Amino acid sequence: MRLKYAAMLLIAMCFLSCSRTSDVVEVQFWNFGGMPKFLDWIRKQVQVYNNTHPKVRVVLGEKSWHQIREILYAGFSAGAGPDIMTLHADHAAEFGAGGYFYPLNNFPDFEQVKQRFEPNIMESTRYNGNYYGLPSSAIVFILVCNKQLFDAEGIAPPRTWSQFREAAKRLTKDLDGDGAVDQYGLVLLGGDKGGFSYRLAPLMMRAGVKIMSNDVTKFEFNSPRGVATVKLLADMHQIDHSVTPGFLAYTLSEINDLFCSNKVAMSIEGPWFQQLVEDKNPGKEFYTVPVPVPDDLVDQYKTLPSLQDMVMYPISAHSKHLTETWEFLKYIRSAEADMLYIDHKTGGLPTTIQVLNSPENAKRKAWDVYDNEIRHSTPWPAHPHIIPIVKNILAPYGQKAIIGEMTPQDAMDAAVNEAYALLEEGR
Amino acid sequence: MKRSTPYLLLAPALLFTGFILLFPLVQNLLNSLMHMTLGRGGTSWSGLENYSRVLSDGLFWLAFRNTVAYAVAGTVAALLLGLGFAVVLNARIGKFTDIMAFFYSIPWVVSPVVAGFAWKWLLNDSFGIFNEWLTSWGIVREDVNWLGDPRTALLCVAVARIWQFYPFAMVMFLAGLQCIPQEQYEAAEVDGATALRKFFHITIPNLRYVTAVLLLLGVIWSFNDFNMVFVMTRGGPINSSMVLPVLVREYSFVYFDVGKGSALSILVFAMLFLLSFLYLRVLTRSDAA
Repeated sequence: MRLKYAAMLLIAMCFLSCSRTSDVVEVQFWNFGGMPKFLDWIRKQVQVYNNTHPKVRVVLGEKSWHQIREILYAGFSAGAGPDIMTLHADHAAEFGAGGYFYPLNNFPDFEQVKQRFEPNIMESTRYNGNYYGLPSSAIVFILVCNKQLFDAEGIAPPRTWSQFREAAKRLTKDLDGDGAVDQYGLVLLGGDKGGFSYRLAPLMMRAGVKIMSNDVTKFEFNSPRGVATVKLLADMHQIDHSVTPGFLAYTLSEINDLFCSNKVAMSIEGPWFQQLVEDKNPGKEFYTVPVPVPDDLVDQYKTLPSLQDMVMYPISAHSKHLTETWEFLKYIRSAEADMLYIDHKTGGLPTTIQVLNSPENAKRKAWDVYDNEIRHSTPWPAHPHIIPIVKNILAPYGQKAIIGEMTPQDAMDAAVNEAYALLEEGR
Repeated sequence: MKRSTPYLLLAPALLFTGFILLFPLVQNLLNSLMHMTLGRGGTSWSGLENYSRVLSDGLFWLAFRNTVAYAVAGTVAALLLGLGFAVVLNARIGKFTDIMAFFYSIPWVVSPVVAGFAWKWLLNDSFGIFNEWLTSWGIVREDVNWLGDPRTALLCVAVARIWQFYPFAMVMFLAGLQCIPQEQYEAAEVDGATALRKFFHITIPNLRYVTAVLLLLGVIWSFNDFNMVFVMTRGGPINSSMVLPVLVREYSFVYFDVGKGSALSILVFAMLFLLSFLYLRVLTRSDAA
């Protein structure tokens, strides 16, 4: 008898659980990393959206910035990935080519939405004719110069390579006369292969070097200008000794410590650096200037591109709720939402035309420099394998040349050959 | 009791072990025989091609040499240090022997990740305490670039590894020393043996099985050590401290070449299997003795 009742209860429970399906659509949103200010904002945005859209529930998952590719590939492979996510735009080609992202240009109102964004930034999301995301925040690489050290030496931030080299030499000093150098002219982020390639590339690009040809079939960083860029850093390291000797072990944290404690005068950084410095040494000032250019290209100082990187919001090609996800994406990438990025605490720059041109944004520190640089900047070439290539091939060979293990020409030639071999192996 | 009862009782444990041990191993073996690159989609049979690609990669041989040096030299140094401390503690010199034993053991209980970060800061060229000491004592004039110099990076990681492994060796040696019959030392004293002769002719031979076990365990654990190297150097600068476990990660999660990463991990598994087999042989002989 007892068994009979138990069986009936079980069957009733099954019916109850199956009889009513929820009519609320659940959109999985994975956010990777972000400064605290951004994280607070995104949590609030999701909450507001959920409160005002009862038929949709956006579920925010906060993930590590350092494992974006691993987490996404694992999620997609298991068929459990998000509907929408944040991701570096340099992965647009990789994930787009893999069929993981939905081409946003398939949405009927895409062209209208696209008009919101600065065209140069929007192009970063394009691969093979398709747009794979809407821009979130953008970054562009610039040169930061320690104001205290530059003012004490009575020199202006450099514009050309010869000024750059000279400034680094003059700012490399033995301050206490014990024969040991206490202050260096330049620090490079060498402890992280990705970070290093993101410092080398802006110097190359500002020298007119293309990492790959326009049709992304040829590598061009071993061009004479590319080799000259590496030689500049090698000479500064090996001949002038104006680059911190331990740079190969440094991550961003060490660079910030060195900069804030006046042990280095210059570093190639981006808009995130302001907040890092404020956190470490409130009130510390620095000059923000474009990355120097070769002397013979100084007339193009304002127009030569630096490296642009950008966080975008792609939609998964496997999403079962494309329309709802697209609506949510348009909401968080409206011009109103983009106002968030006028605050330097987010670490990024705005991407919508309305906010880029707004008077509020113009008040941002060093905005004149960022405004010009972001409009002329260039992203990594739209090739599916560009990130592994620059991180694992360009970076180590560049480092070998800088410390003198190889000549700049041999290093860049070897890097190009290895990059072709990697592509060949992939085929 | 039915004949099947023991098997039924064992089944959950066997299933669990099979799921967490055998399934990944077999899957990894299959992956190593496939062309499998995440992001490019599709898999196809490749036979032994992934193994051939690993073995013809210069980075593999660099990582192999580094791993062997890191594992063998690091373990031998940790054993010598552990033996030295064990002998001192066993002699019970002074009142604070037990307290000292506690302090000597601390590195063993520190998480490798925490230890790695601590060593990274201790060895920092600009702010590290080691350079501060060396310059203030006048031993060096310029700060030494410990982790940023390809010639010293692996050595520094090995020192951190020695620091972490020696307490385990010390405890094991101490246990071994306390098991040596005192009669042997008394007999040697009657024969007029010096302390040094007693050490080499009584202590060391009695510790041979402990030493063999420690040597094998130390090499196996160091061979498999990912945390310390990854936290301190990530295999850099310029791959100078690249070791096999970090290279498996590079292949699998940086290049997303799962086939090649799996092939390398199977090769590492084979090497460790051989070492484990030796370890079990030594244990068996030790038990028999």
